Amino acid sequence: MSETLSGAHILCRTLIDAGVDVLFGYPGGAIMPFYHALPEFPRLRHILVRHEQAAAHAADGYARASGRVGVCVATSGPGATNLVTGLATAHMDSSPVVAITGQVSRPMIGRDAFQETDIIGITLPITKQNYLVQDAAELADVVREAIAVAQHGRPGPVLIDIPKDVQNQKVEPRASARGQSLTPGGSPGIPEDGVRQAADLIAAAQRPVLMVGHGVILANAYAEVRALAEKTGMPVITTLLGISAFPEGHPQHLGMPGMHGEVHVNRAIQRADLIVGIGLRFDDRVTGNLSAFAPRAQVVHIDLDRSEIGRNVPTAVGIVGDARAVTRRLVAAIQPRSCDAWRAEIEGSRRPQDASFRGGMSPEAILAAIHDATGGECTIVTDVGQHQMWVAKLFPYRRPNTHITSGGLGTMGFAVPAAMGVHLARPGEPVWAISGDGGFQMNMAEMATMVQEGLPVKLAVFNNGYLGMVRQWQQFFHGKRYSSTPIWSPDYVKLAEAYGIPGYRVRHASELADAVGQANAAPGPTLVEFVIEQEANVFPMIPPGGSLSEPIEAAV
Amino acid sequence: MTTVHTMDVLLDGTLLMLNRAVGVLRRRNVTVEQLTVRPCGPAGGSRMTFVLHTDAATADRVVQQFHKIVGVRTVEITTVHDPTTEEQP
Repeated sequence: MSETLSGAHILCRTLIDAGVDVLFGYPGGAIMPFYHALPEFPRLRHILVRHEQAAAHAADGYARASGRVGVCVATSGPGATNLVTGLATAHMDSSPVVAITGQVSRPMIGRDAFQETDIIGITLPITKQNYLVQDAAELADVVREAIAVAQHGRPGPVLIDIPKDVQNQKVEPRASARGQSLTPGGSPGIPEDGVRQAADLIAAAQRPVLMVGHGVILANAYAEVRALAEKTGMPVITTLLGISAFPEGHPQHLGMPGMHGEVHVNRAIQRADLIVGIGLRFDDRVTGNLSAFAPRAQVVHIDLDRSEIGRNVPTAVGIVGDARAVTRRLVAAIQPRSCDAWRAEIEGSRRPQDASFRGGMSPEAILAAIHDATGGECTIVTDVGQHQMWVAKLFPYRRPNTHITSGGLGTMGFAVPAAMGVHLARPGEPVWAISGDGGFQMNMAEMATMVQEGLPVKLAVFNNGYLGMVRQWQQFFHGKRYSSTPIWSPDYVKLAEAYGIPGYRVRHASELADAVGQANAAPGPTLVEFVIEQEANVFPMIPPGGSLSEPIEAAV
Repeated sequence: MTTVHTMDVLLDGTLLMLNRAVGVLRRRNVTVEQLTVRPCGPAGGSRMTFVLHTDAATADRVVQQFHKIVGVRTVEITTVHDPTTEEQP
């Protein structure tokens, strides 16, 4: 008689066969058969988080840092719904996360059973695909397909919902009954006429700019993009999720565009006669008012996702394809040129940074301390808000894919759990999770996970006693009515002590090097609180819906 | 300019698939004037036909979004006409 296996065993085996080695999860009633089987598969390391949202963010961080799928696990009902924010974050930022949820047993589905929820229905708009597994005999195929779909083409999250009785169901394992024929969006051929037209536009442009987004990181197209930049002399702009796709110290690098982009970056866009966009989606935080965006520019848009071409900005030439492959063709098709006069014109409009922070605790000084302590050999994971913008604008990233943040969804609470996933993907280098005092308090319970699982994440909290970015908007656009933005914090040093990890508080710039150096060198997780100016603002700022040509450069 | 677009989508025929396809229309905030679904093609396949009152660019975006869905086999705009030229009864 042939061997029979439970659905739970098939699930574990299939994950291992697919190369999965770490799972972030939280057990509960409907996923217990899986957790019962798990100890028999020591190659699957399970990280017990303190909240399922953290499992999804950690899987997302793992996926972004490793380029492979990140896997999270939760039970039915509240366990599954707690994943939702993490899945939406991964969906907006094209991150290959596979979520596995327990479901009530098949006979109970639709009866409002204990901890039953329609997680398939709930996650339909925020997943690339999802599956309710009705038979353990299908499970291996579904898991293989889910992993393939999550990674194929433009990556994204996939959810697999597995009823408890399917996890317990014993079946004879069988070879794959279906291939990956359902995988959408096969690799398109690169249209040579599009490449030729793009090359002609680049040759003819007087003021071209190269805009680089997340797609360059996903496609590992760093060398190709750098070759394109250096062969043409085009100035290079990196979007929030494109940061670290092009070296910050490179003489052609301008910085980040959009709502908090530097004046010279946005001015370059507004004066450009050609934008070559690779792997970005021209979202509203980049473009500001679309009708006033880059009024003189023709746009060449290269993206793997056909639906992005022409969606937000009119496109003269759209090329659907992998950023690496298309850029390589483009480099071969163009003639060398330079943009010296154009770049000199842009450089002439650079503005000095605002350096007036109490105690010298400027974002520049804090980030320089982290850079010095790590020698720049670290990955920075940021949360959402003012600190996120400061890091995006000021940290001198020189290595690819070392800046990880929640861009599209703007999820506060992302940094701390995502950094756990980043550490597991890159165990050999420091990982700094930088948060504000608001976002840190959303998921600070994950310090316990770091201690229990031995994850040496370095936690930085920019504490200004406010939900700073919202306060800034209230200052600028809501008559300085600081409604519900002052936020109390615990004593972070004592909090760290309670979790059994070293904690440091820095009030003056003179203390930065010691505290950050010690925190970085300590073997386990550590926490550093940076007490910063309470009402500092991120400048410049394009008002929401405003034109890139009309930045706010000082408080009113 | 707003015109009437009739679209045809061939789907693998699970209810979940249909739910996902309708979700594309809902999420893009597109008004659907008619929607019919009938069995079609290989076992379990469905053909979803719907009529949109929208401009050409939006109709094209809807087509592109359908192409991204796992289990959508074909998508096509079968007819386009300008409602202002319709004959009156």
